[in-house]
Amino acid sequence: MNADRELDDILSEIGREHRAIGAPESLEPLLFAASASRIRDTRQRRMRLTWALATAAILLAVVAAGGIVWQTRGSHPRQTQQAQLVPARPVGPESRPAPVQDPGRQKSVPKSAPLHKTGPAHVNLRDSSAKQPAWNSLDEFVALPVSEGLPAATELSVVRVRVRGSELRQYGLEAPPDAGAQTLLAEFAVGEDGLPRAIRIVR
Amino acid sequence: MFDRQPRRRLDGELSDEQLHREALAGSGEAMAALYRRHGGLVYRFSLRMSGIPAAAEEITQEVFLALLTQVDRFDAGRGMLSTWLCGIARRQVWKYLARNNAALVDSDEECTLELQSPDDGPAEVMLRGEAVAAVRAGMDQLPPALREVVILCALEEMSYEQAAQVLAVPVGTVRSRLHRAKARLAGLLRTEMASMERKRG
Repeated sequence: MNADRELDDILSEIGREHRAIGAPESLEPLLFAASASRIRDTRQRRMRLTWALATAAILLAVVAAGGIVWQTRGSHPRQTQQAQLVPARPVGPESRPAPVQDPGRQKSVPKSAPLHKTGPAHVNLRDSSAKQPAWNSLDEFVALPVSEGLPAATELSVVRVRVRGSELRQYGLEAPPDAGAQTLLAEFAVGEDGLPRAIRIVR
Repeated sequence: MFDRQPRRRLDGELSDEQLHREALAGSGEAMAALYRRHGGLVYRFSLRMSGIPAAAEEITQEVFLALLTQVDRFDAGRGMLSTWLCGIARRQVWKYLARNNAALVDSDEECTLELQSPDDGPAEVMLRGEAVAAVRAGMDQLPPALREVVILCALEEMSYEQAAQVLAVPVGTVRSRLHRAKARLAGLLRTEMASMERKRG
Protein backbone atom coordinates (compact mmCIF):
# COMPACT_ATOMS: atom_id res chain seq x y z
CA MET A 1 0.00 0.00 0.00
CA ASN A 2 1.27 3.47 -0.80
CA ALA A 3 1.94 5.14 2.54
CA ASP A 4 1.88 8.63 1.06
CA ARG A 5 -1.54 8.19 -0.48
CA GLU A 6 -2.77 6.53 2.68
CA LEU A 7 -1.44 9.48 4.66
CA ASP A 8 -3.31 11.94 2.45
CA ASP A 9 -6.53 9.98 2.94
CA ILE A 10 -6.04 9.90 6.68
CA LEU A 11 -5.26 13.58 6.81
CA SER A 12 -8.44 14.29 4.83
CA GLU A 13 -10.41 12.27 7.32
CA ILE A 14 -8.83 14.01 10.28
CA GLY A 15 -9.43 17.33 8.49
CA ARG A 16 -13.15 16.63 8.14
CA GLU A 17 -13.39 15.89 11.85
CA HIS A 18 -11.23 18.89 12.59
CA ARG A 19 -13.37 21.34 10.60
CA ALA A 20 -16.50 20.09 12.32
CA ILE A 21 -15.25 21.64 15.54
CA GLY A 22 -16.92 24.98 16.08
CA ALA A 23 -15.95 27.94 18.18
CA PRO A 24 -17.22 27.81 21.75
CA GLU A 25 -20.52 29.65 22.02
CA SER A 26 -19.64 30.88 25.47
CA LEU A 27 -17.31 33.48 23.97
CA GLU A 28 -19.92 35.11 21.75
CA PRO A 29 -21.77 37.13 24.39
CA LEU A 30 -18.46 38.17 25.91
CA LEU A 31 -17.21 39.54 22.61
CA PHE A 32 -20.60 41.13 21.94
CA ALA A 33 -20.31 43.01 25.22
CA ALA A 34 -16.68 43.93 24.59
CA SER A 35 -17.56 45.51 21.28
CA ALA A 36 -20.57 47.32 22.69
CA SER A 37 -18.57 48.65 25.61
CA ARG A 38 -15.94 49.94 23.24
CA ILE A 39 -18.23 52.73 22.05
CA ARG A 40 -19.05 53.58 25.65
CA ASP A 41 -15.36 53.78 26.48
CA THR A 42 -14.74 55.91 23.41
CA ARG A 43 -17.53 58.29 24.41
CA GLN A 44 -16.19 58.51 27.93
CA ARG A 45 -12.70 59.20 26.65
CA ARG A 46 -14.04 61.91 24.33
CA MET A 47 -16.06 63.40 27.16
CA ARG A 48 -13.01 63.46 29.42
CA LEU A 49 -10.95 65.05 26.67
CA THR A 50 -13.63 67.67 26.04
CA TRP A 51 -13.80 68.51 29.72
CA ALA A 52 -10.04 68.73 29.97
CA LEU A 53 -9.89 71.08 26.98
CA ALA A 54 -12.73 73.20 28.30
CA THR A 55 -11.07 73.46 31.71
CA ALA A 56 -7.77 74.41 30.11
CA ALA A 57 -9.51 77.06 27.99
CA ILE A 58 -11.27 78.50 31.03
CA LEU A 59 -8.02 78.61 33.00
CA LEU A 60 -6.30 80.28 30.08
CA ALA A 61 -9.08 82.84 29.80
CA VAL A 62 -8.91 83.54 33.53
CA VAL A 63 -5.14 84.00 33.40
CA ALA A 64 -5.42 86.27 30.36
CA ALA A 65 -8.18 88.32 31.96
CA GLY A 66 -6.12 88.60 35.13
CA GLY A 67 -3.16 89.82 33.12
CA ILE A 68 -5.28 92.43 31.34
CA VAL A 69 -6.78 93.64 34.60
CA TRP A 70 -3.34 93.83 36.18
CA GLN A 71 -1.99 95.82 33.24
CA THR A 72 -4.89 98.25 33.11
CA ARG A 73 -4.77 98.75 36.87
CA GLY A 74 -1.09 99.54 36.57
CA SER A 75 -1.64 102.30 34.02
CA HIS A 76 -5.10 103.83 34.57
CA PRO A 77 -4.71 105.30 38.03
CA ARG A 78 -1.64 107.27 36.95
CA GLN A 79 -3.39 108.68 33.93
CA THR A 80 -6.44 109.58 35.91
CA GLN A 81 -4.36 111.09 38.64
CA GLN A 82 -2.31 113.17 36.20
CA ALA A 83 -5.40 114.29 34.36
CA GLN A 84 -6.73 115.66 37.59
CA LEU A 85 -3.44 117.29 38.52
CA VAL A 86 -3.18 119.33 35.36
CA PRO A 87 -5.26 122.45 35.72
CA ALA A 88 -7.63 123.31 32.92
CA ARG A 89 -6.95 126.42 30.93
CA PRO A 90 -8.63 127.44 27.70
CA VAL A 91 -6.14 127.90 24.87
CA GLY A 92 -6.19 129.00 21.24
CA PRO A 93 -5.71 126.78 18.24
CA GLU A 94 -2.55 128.53 17.02
CA SER A 95 -0.07 125.71 17.40
CA ARG A 96 -1.12 122.26 16.26
CA PRO A 97 1.71 119.75 16.52
CA ALA A 98 2.10 116.86 14.20
CA PRO A 99 0.39 113.61 15.15
CA VAL A 100 2.47 111.07 16.99
CA GLN A 101 4.21 108.68 14.62
CA ASP A 102 4.67 104.94 14.90
CA PRO A 103 2.28 104.16 17.67
CA GLY A 104 3.39 101.09 19.56
CA ARG A 105 0.52 100.30 21.81
CA GLN A 106 -2.75 102.00 22.57
CA LYS A 107 -4.68 102.04 25.74
CA SER A 108 -8.08 103.54 26.06
CA VAL A 109 -8.41 106.11 28.77
CA PRO A 110 -11.76 106.40 30.48
CA LYS A 111 -13.95 109.20 29.34
CA SER A 112 -14.23 110.31 32.91
CA ALA A 113 -10.66 111.59 32.80
CA PRO A 114 -10.60 114.55 30.42
CA LEU A 115 -7.26 116.23 30.05
CA HIS A 116 -7.09 119.99 29.54
CA LYS A 117 -3.85 121.22 28.16
CA THR A 118 -1.98 123.96 29.96
CA GLY A 119 1.43 125.38 30.51
CA PRO A 120 3.91 127.62 28.73
CA ALA A 121 4.85 127.33 25.10
CA HIS A 122 8.09 125.62 26.06
CA VAL A 123 8.73 123.77 29.20
CA ASN A 124 12.27 123.26 30.28
CA LEU A 125 11.94 120.21 32.37
CA ARG A 126 15.33 120.61 33.92
CA ASP A 127 14.43 124.07 35.02
CA SER A 128 11.09 123.01 36.31
CA SER A 129 12.54 120.14 38.29
CA ALA A 130 11.69 121.93 41.46
CA LYS A 131 8.01 121.58 40.64
CA GLN A 132 8.19 118.38 38.61
CA PRO A 133 10.46 115.37 38.74
CA ALA A 134 13.60 115.21 36.55
CA TRP A 135 12.85 114.64 32.87
CA ASN A 136 14.33 111.16 32.77
CA SER A 137 12.36 110.01 35.76
CA LEU A 138 9.02 111.47 34.76
CA ASP A 139 6.61 108.78 35.51
CA GLU A 140 3.55 110.96 35.34
CA PHE A 141 1.97 112.74 32.42
CA VAL A 142 2.89 116.32 31.75
CA ALA A 143 0.84 118.45 29.39
CA LEU A 144 2.65 119.18 26.17
CA PRO A 145 3.30 122.85 25.47
CA VAL A 146 2.47 122.27 21.81
CA SER A 147 -1.01 121.19 22.78
CA GLU A 148 -1.89 124.71 23.75
CA GLY A 149 -4.90 125.95 21.91
CA LEU A 150 -6.20 122.53 21.12
CA PRO A 151 -9.78 121.82 22.08
CA ALA A 152 -10.17 119.78 25.21
CA ALA A 153 -10.13 116.08 24.47
CA THR A 154 -13.08 114.12 25.67
CA GLU A 155 -11.34 110.81 25.26
CA LEU A 156 -7.65 110.08 25.33
CA SER A 157 -5.60 107.17 24.11
CA VAL A 158 -2.15 106.34 25.37
CA VAL A 159 0.40 105.63 22.65
CA ARG A 160 3.78 104.27 23.59
CA VAL A 161 6.66 105.25 21.27
CA ARG A 162 10.45 105.34 21.27
CA VAL A 163 11.85 108.79 20.68
CA ARG A 164 15.27 110.34 20.85
CA GLY A 165 15.83 112.93 23.52
CA SER A 166 16.48 115.53 20.85
CA GLU A 167 13.09 114.83 19.24
CA LEU A 168 11.29 116.07 22.33
CA ARG A 169 11.96 119.57 21.11
CA GLN A 170 9.24 119.29 18.48
CA TYR A 171 6.78 118.74 21.33
CA GLY A 172 7.94 121.82 23.14
CA LEU A 173 10.20 120.06 25.60
CA GLU A 174 13.89 120.47 26.04
CA ALA A 175 16.01 117.56 27.04
CA PRO A 176 19.48 118.09 28.53
CA PRO A 177 22.30 117.97 25.95
CA ASP A 178 23.66 114.65 27.21
CA ALA A 179 20.22 113.04 26.71
CA GLY A 180 19.81 114.19 23.13
CA ALA A 181 21.15 110.99 21.61
CA GLN A 182 19.39 108.69 24.05
CA THR A 183 16.39 106.71 22.99
CA LEU A 184 13.54 107.12 25.38
CA LEU A 185 10.39 105.13 25.80
CA ALA A 186 7.62 107.67 26.12
CA GLU A 187 3.88 107.55 26.34
CA PHE A 188 1.74 110.20 24.69
CA ALA A 189 -1.80 110.91 25.67
CA VAL A 190 -3.48 111.41 22.30
CA GLY A 191 -6.88 112.99 21.85
CA GLU A 192 -9.60 111.67 19.60
CA ASP A 193 -8.30 114.06 16.91
CA GLY A 194 -4.97 112.22 16.85
CA LEU A 195 -3.03 115.11 18.41
CA PRO A 196 -0.86 114.58 21.49
CA ARG A 197 -1.88 116.33 24.67
CA ALA A 198 0.55 115.04 27.27
CA ILE A 199 3.69 112.99 27.61
CA ARG A 200 5.18 110.64 30.12
CA ILE A 201 8.68 109.21 30.05
CA VAL A 202 8.52 105.53 30.80
CA ARG A 203 12.29 105.00 30.77
CA MET B 1 -44.26 48.42 27.24
CA PHE B 2 -41.19 48.36 25.09
CA ASP B 3 -40.25 45.39 23.01
CA ARG B 4 -36.60 44.57 23.22
CA GLN B 5 -35.15 44.76 19.76
CA PRO B 6 -33.97 41.35 18.63
CA ARG B 7 -30.31 41.01 17.79
CA ARG B 8 -29.65 41.36 14.13
CA ARG B 9 -27.78 38.57 12.46
CA LEU B 10 -25.31 40.03 10.04
CA ASP B 11 -23.50 36.82 9.15
CA GLY B 12 -24.34 36.69 5.48
CA GLU B 13 -25.09 40.34 4.85
CA LEU B 14 -21.80 42.12 5.11
CA SER B 15 -18.18 41.56 4.19
CA ASP B 16 -15.51 41.03 6.82
CA GLU B 17 -14.29 44.58 6.36
CA GLN B 18 -17.75 46.05 6.83
CA LEU B 19 -18.37 43.90 9.88
CA HIS B 20 -15.02 44.94 11.33
CA ARG B 21 -15.87 48.61 10.83
CA GLU B 22 -19.24 48.13 12.51
CA ALA B 23 -17.65 46.22 15.38
CA LEU B 24 -15.20 49.06 15.89
CA ALA B 25 -18.13 51.46 15.92
CA GLY B 26 -19.60 49.50 18.80
CA SER B 27 -21.84 47.00 17.04
CA GLY B 28 -21.97 43.86 19.14
CA GLU B 29 -23.94 42.14 16.39
CA ALA B 30 -21.11 42.72 13.93
CA MET B 31 -18.58 41.37 16.40
CA ALA B 32 -20.71 38.29 17.02
CA ALA B 33 -21.07 37.77 13.29
CA LEU B 34 -17.31 37.94 12.83
CA TYR B 35 -16.86 35.47 15.63
CA ARG B 36 -19.37 33.04 14.14
CA ARG B 37 -17.64 33.38 10.80
CA HIS B 38 -14.02 32.95 11.88
CA GLY B 39 -14.09 31.81 15.49
CA GLY B 40 -14.05 28.15 14.50
CA LEU B 41 -10.84 28.47 12.52
CA VAL B 42 -9.08 30.33 15.30
CA TYR B 43 -10.30 28.00 18.00
CA ARG B 44 -9.46 24.81 16.07
CA PHE B 45 -5.99 26.04 15.25
CA SER B 46 -5.36 27.02 18.86
CA LEU B 47 -6.75 23.73 20.10
CA ARG B 48 -4.63 21.61 17.76
CA MET B 49 -1.52 23.56 18.65
CA SER B 50 -2.00 23.78 22.40
CA GLY B 51 -3.90 20.53 22.93
CA ILE B 52 -5.87 22.11 25.78
CA PRO B 53 -9.45 23.38 25.22
CA ALA B 54 -9.26 25.99 27.99
CA ALA B 55 -6.09 27.43 26.53
CA ALA B 56 -7.58 27.43 23.06
CA GLU B 57 -10.63 29.28 24.34
CA GLU B 58 -8.49 31.88 26.05
CA ILE B 59 -6.39 32.38 22.94
CA THR B 60 -9.50 32.71 20.78
CA GLN B 61 -10.86 35.37 23.07
CA GLU B 62 -7.56 37.27 22.96
CA VAL B 63 -7.52 37.10 19.19
CA PHE B 64 -10.98 38.58 18.79
CA LEU B 65 -10.36 41.26 21.38
CA ALA B 66 -7.31 42.18 19.32
CA LEU B 67 -9.75 43.00 16.54
CA LEU B 68 -10.96 45.85 18.72
CA THR B 69 -7.65 46.95 20.16
CA GLN B 70 -5.16 46.48 17.32
CA VAL B 71 -7.29 48.39 14.88
CA ASP B 72 -4.49 49.75 12.75
CA ARG B 73 -2.74 46.44 12.24
CA PHE B 74 -5.37 44.87 10.00
CA ASP B 75 -5.20 46.03 6.41
CA ALA B 76 -7.94 44.57 4.27
CA GLY B 77 -5.90 45.39 1.18
CA ARG B 78 -3.08 43.11 2.25
CA GLY B 79 -4.97 39.98 3.16
CA MET B 80 -8.07 38.34 4.44
CA LEU B 81 -9.33 38.80 7.94
CA SER B 82 -9.29 35.06 8.53
CA THR B 83 -5.56 34.80 7.84
CA TRP B 84 -4.89 37.90 9.93
CA LEU B 85 -6.81 36.41 12.85
CA CYS B 86 -5.05 33.11 12.41
CA GLY B 87 -1.70 34.91 12.42
CA ILE B 88 -2.54 36.52 15.75
CA ALA B 89 -3.69 33.16 17.07
CA ARG B 90 -0.39 31.67 16.01
CA ARG B 91 1.59 34.29 17.91
CA GLN B 92 -0.55 33.74 20.97
CA VAL B 93 -0.10 29.99 20.69
CA TRP B 94 3.66 30.28 20.50
CA LYS B 95 3.64 32.54 23.54
CA TYR B 96 1.51 30.00 25.34
CA LEU B 97 3.83 27.15 24.38
CA ALA B 98 6.84 29.16 25.52
CA ARG B 99 5.18 29.98 28.83
CA ASN B 100 4.38 26.35 29.43
CA ASN B 101 7.82 25.13 28.43
CA ALA B 102 6.48 23.16 25.56
CA ALA B 103 9.04 21.51 23.33
CA LEU B 104 9.57 24.20 20.73
CA VAL B 105 11.84 22.06 18.62
CA ASP B 106 13.20 23.92 15.66
CA SER B 107 11.75 22.65 12.44
CA ASP B 108 15.17 21.98 10.98
CA GLU B 109 16.13 19.63 13.75
CA GLU B 110 15.47 16.00 13.36
CA CYS B 111 12.68 14.74 15.52
CA THR B 112 11.93 11.13 16.13
CA LEU B 113 8.26 10.37 16.34
CA GLU B 114 7.26 7.78 18.83
CA LEU B 115 4.24 5.74 18.06
CA GLN B 116 1.71 4.77 20.56
CA SER B 117 2.02 1.06 20.94
CA PRO B 118 -0.55 -0.79 18.87
CA ASP B 119 -1.20 -2.79 21.97
CA ASP B 120 -2.66 0.34 23.61
CA GLY B 121 -5.79 0.08 21.50
CA PRO B 122 -8.32 -2.67 21.79
CA ALA B 123 -7.54 -5.59 19.62
CA GLU B 124 -10.79 -5.37 17.75
CA VAL B 125 -10.17 -1.81 16.61
CA MET B 126 -10.19 -1.55 12.86
CA LEU B 127 -6.78 -1.27 11.23
CA ARG B 128 -7.79 1.97 9.57
CA GLY B 129 -8.80 3.41 12.88
CA GLU B 130 -5.41 2.52 14.29
CA ALA B 131 -3.69 4.21 11.41
CA VAL B 132 -5.75 7.36 11.89
CA ALA B 133 -5.01 7.39 15.59
CA ALA B 134 -1.34 6.89 14.86
CA VAL B 135 -1.24 9.82 12.45
CA ARG B 136 -3.16 12.00 14.87
CA ALA B 137 -0.74 11.14 17.65
CA GLY B 138 2.15 11.68 15.30
CA MET B 139 0.83 15.14 14.45
CA ASP B 140 0.75 16.05 18.09
CA GLN B 141 4.39 15.09 18.39
CA LEU B 142 5.55 17.11 15.43
CA PRO B 143 7.52 20.25 16.24
CA PRO B 144 5.14 23.22 16.37
CA ALA B 145 6.64 24.78 13.26
CA LEU B 146 5.77 21.67 11.24
CA ARG B 147 2.53 20.96 13.04
CA GLU B 148 1.08 24.36 12.24
CA VAL B 149 1.75 23.88 8.55
CA VAL B 150 -0.06 20.53 8.57
CA ILE B 151 -3.00 22.06 10.43
CA LEU B 152 -3.34 24.96 8.03
CA CYS B 153 -2.66 23.21 4.73
CA ALA B 154 -3.90 19.68 5.35
CA LEU B 155 -6.66 20.09 7.90
CA GLU B 156 -7.93 23.61 7.16
CA GLU B 157 -7.22 23.20 3.44
CA MET B 158 -5.67 26.62 3.13
CA SER B 159 -3.63 27.42 0.06
CA TYR B 160 0.13 27.75 0.40
CA GLU B 161 -0.23 31.50 -0.06
CA GLN B 162 -2.76 31.80 2.74
CA ALA B 163 -0.66 29.65 5.05
CA ALA B 164 2.37 31.76 4.20
CA GLN B 165 0.43 34.88 5.24
CA VAL B 166 -0.57 33.32 8.52
CA LEU B 167 2.92 32.11 9.29
CA ALA B 168 4.60 35.21 7.90
CA VAL B 169 7.04 33.13 5.89
CA PRO B 170 7.62 32.72 2.15
CA VAL B 171 5.48 30.26 0.24
CA GLY B 172 8.56 28.12 -0.43
CA THR B 173 9.08 27.71 3.30
CA VAL B 174 5.51 26.52 3.68
CA ARG B 175 6.02 23.96 0.93
CA SER B 176 9.25 22.64 2.38
CA ARG B 177 7.87 22.46 5.91
CA LEU B 178 4.78 20.64 4.73
CA HIS B 179 6.94 18.24 2.76
CA ARG B 180 9.07 17.49 5.81
CA ALA B 181 6.06 17.08 8.05
CA LYS B 182 4.38 14.69 5.65
CA ALA B 183 7.57 12.71 5.20
CA ARG B 184 7.77 12.18 8.93
CA LEU B 185 4.11 11.25 9.21
CA ALA B 186 4.45 8.88 6.23
CA GLY B 187 7.43 7.21 7.87
CA LEU B 188 5.42 6.84 11.01
CA LEU B 189 2.55 5.41 9.07
CA ARG B 190 4.78 2.90 7.34
CA THR B 191 6.10 1.72 10.67
CA GLU B 192 2.56 1.43 11.96
CA MET B 193 1.41 -0.48 8.91
CA ALA B 194 4.36 -2.87 9.20
CA SER B 195 3.49 -3.42 12.82
CA MET B 196 -0.10 -4.15 11.92
CA GLU B 197 1.04 -6.56 9.21
CA ARG B 198 3.15 -8.40 11.73
CA LYS B 199 0.25 -8.60 14.11
CA ARG B 200 -2.01 -9.90 11.39
CA GLY B 201 0.58 -12.45 10.26
